[in-house]
Amino acid sequence: MTERDAEQRRNTRRIALIMGGIAVAFYLGFILMGVLRS
Amino acid sequence: MTVAAAAAHDDHGPAKGIKRWLFTTNHKDIGTMYLIFSLIMFFAGGAMALIIRSELMNPGLQFVHPEFFNQMTTMHALIMVFGAVMPAFVGLANWMIPLMIGAPDMALPRMNNWSFWILPVAFGLLGSTLFMPGGAPASGWTMYPPLVLQTGDAFPFLIFSVHLMGLSSIMGAINIIVTILNMRAPDMWLLKMPMFVWTWLITAYLLIAVMPVLAGAVTMLLTDQFFGTSFFLAAGGGDPVMFQHIFWFFGHPEVYIMILPAFGVVSEIIPTFSRKPLFGHDSMVYAASCIAFLSFIVWAHHMFTVGMPLSGQLFFMFATMLIAVPTGVKIFNWIATMWRGAMTFETPMLFSLGFVFLFSIGGFSGLMLAIAPADIQYHDTYFVVAHFHYVLVPGSVFAIMAGAYFWLPKWTGHMYNEAAGKLHFWLSTIFVNLTFFPMHFLGLAGMPRRIPDYSTQFADFNWLASVGAIGFGLSQLVFVYVLVTAKKGATATDRVWEAPRGLEWTVPSPAPYHTFDTPPVKRVHEEAFE
Repeated sequence: MTERDAEQRRNTRRIALIMGGIAVAFYLGFILMGVLRS
Repeated sequence: MTVAAAAAHDDHGPAKGIKRWLFTTNHKDIGTMYLIFSLIMFFAGGAMALIIRSELMNPGLQFVHPEFFNQMTTMHALIMVFGAVMPAFVGLANWMIPLMIGAPDMALPRMNNWSFWILPVAFGLLGSTLFMPGGAPASGWTMYPPLVLQTGDAFPFLIFSVHLMGLSSIMGAINIIVTILNMRAPDMWLLKMPMFVWTWLITAYLLIAVMPVLAGAVTMLLTDQFFGTSFFLAAGGGDPVMFQHIFWFFGHPEVYIMILPAFGVVSEIIPTFSRKPLFGHDSMVYAASCIAFLSFIVWAHHMFTVGMPLSGQLFFMFATMLIAVPTGVKIFNWIATMWRGAMTFETPMLFSLGFVFLFSIGGFSGLMLAIAPADIQYHDTYFVVAHFHYVLVPGSVFAIMAGAYFWLPKWTGHMYNEAAGKLHFWLSTIFVNLTFFPMHFLGLAGMPRRIPDYSTQFADFNWLASVGAIGFGLSQLVFVYVLVTAKKGATATDRVWEAPRGLEWTVPSPAPYHTFDTPPVKRVHEEAFE
């Protein structure tokens, strides 16, 4: 594996995790908003 | 497994038989499966539309029970939105984004496979509700409580299938973002990316932001129904209007999820057949970003009639009208691209021009609906049905058709039947207008939506709309004929068209199973883009 491949793999994982984290945060955040409001 | 690792052993062709499709991680295979799936769903949802239009062809109850009619309107919408339009654009993205940016595949190929195969399961669950006691969901695709909580055995299946659709979309969106940000050819900086790639990048961000919101809303519906909570139940201190706010916080960006990739497709096609570069590429990018941002702050224009402070009505009214500005930028840029171009009118161009004209009609009726006092009159009438069908059918669906004709020779290696393609366009255009234009008049005359019977004063326009719908449905069989005979035409060249731009036209036709195992060199890149 070249240096470029390794960096690409790291970036792939990092961006995917950040995006997945945003999605989970929105999901739980809106349910939390419902909990706080009801 | 990253693509770089996969590329180390991808000198083989596709696997044989069903395993190729079940276990494939190849973006072209997965793109093909998405496109075929969406076509099947298009016909399933279309069949439901024809049941609706048959019932409405004449006043009085004709063929179906009113409860079943409500199930058809609900299932038609869910299938067309989540099963036909969205997967079709994901299919185009899977096929074309790696080719356009010079990547060997999507960044997360196994997740790509999973994203697709969740969909047939989701729609299998949803479709199975038609055979359950109480029938399919009948509360409309908006799933408003408390009505949706009266759904029979179908309710948990509806909720679970919506969760699965959301999961599939979110995984697909993550894959697209990672691929675009991380796997572009070395010299392709962001503002050099083709518009289809740009619009999909923006769409993917929208998906990540709003699909979890829908999932959260339906999770709360589920707990209200089965676990004793009262998020939306007034009797328990909950607020049904809160569901509407949450739903439309998802629902309005969803509209742009279905139209931004359409803008991207049209922005690829019009320059090709005008033999000019796209006018104002960068301004198109900024306009699409602006539309995406505004889509988050206009949701309550769907709910003017629930009652809200005047300041709220004014804010949502003016924010909605503001969307016309970046959308206008796009329309004028497409016109400027065609200005003094050496235009020809092959099928993809015809569908794109049809898109520009007819989507604009949907845009203008949207502006009318944005006016709060007027909307209170139009709300829940056929004017709204006319508006969103103009946006989605000659808008999104025409763009999908345009993209399919545009890239079909690259996929199959053969030119499709041009005469049949043009026949498909003209029949579709005539019948789509016959179907949906009279609905404007019906709505302005006060005909409510989601009803199986109506006053006799609405009979003539309803008859016309039903004839148009049957004609539009039959016209789509011409498209099936084009697809079935797609490999019988003349051999396509690598560039296919006279003046295409972009890396996808530098690979052979049909595109080999593996492309860009090594990133394209600068020379190829320059030839494609400069």
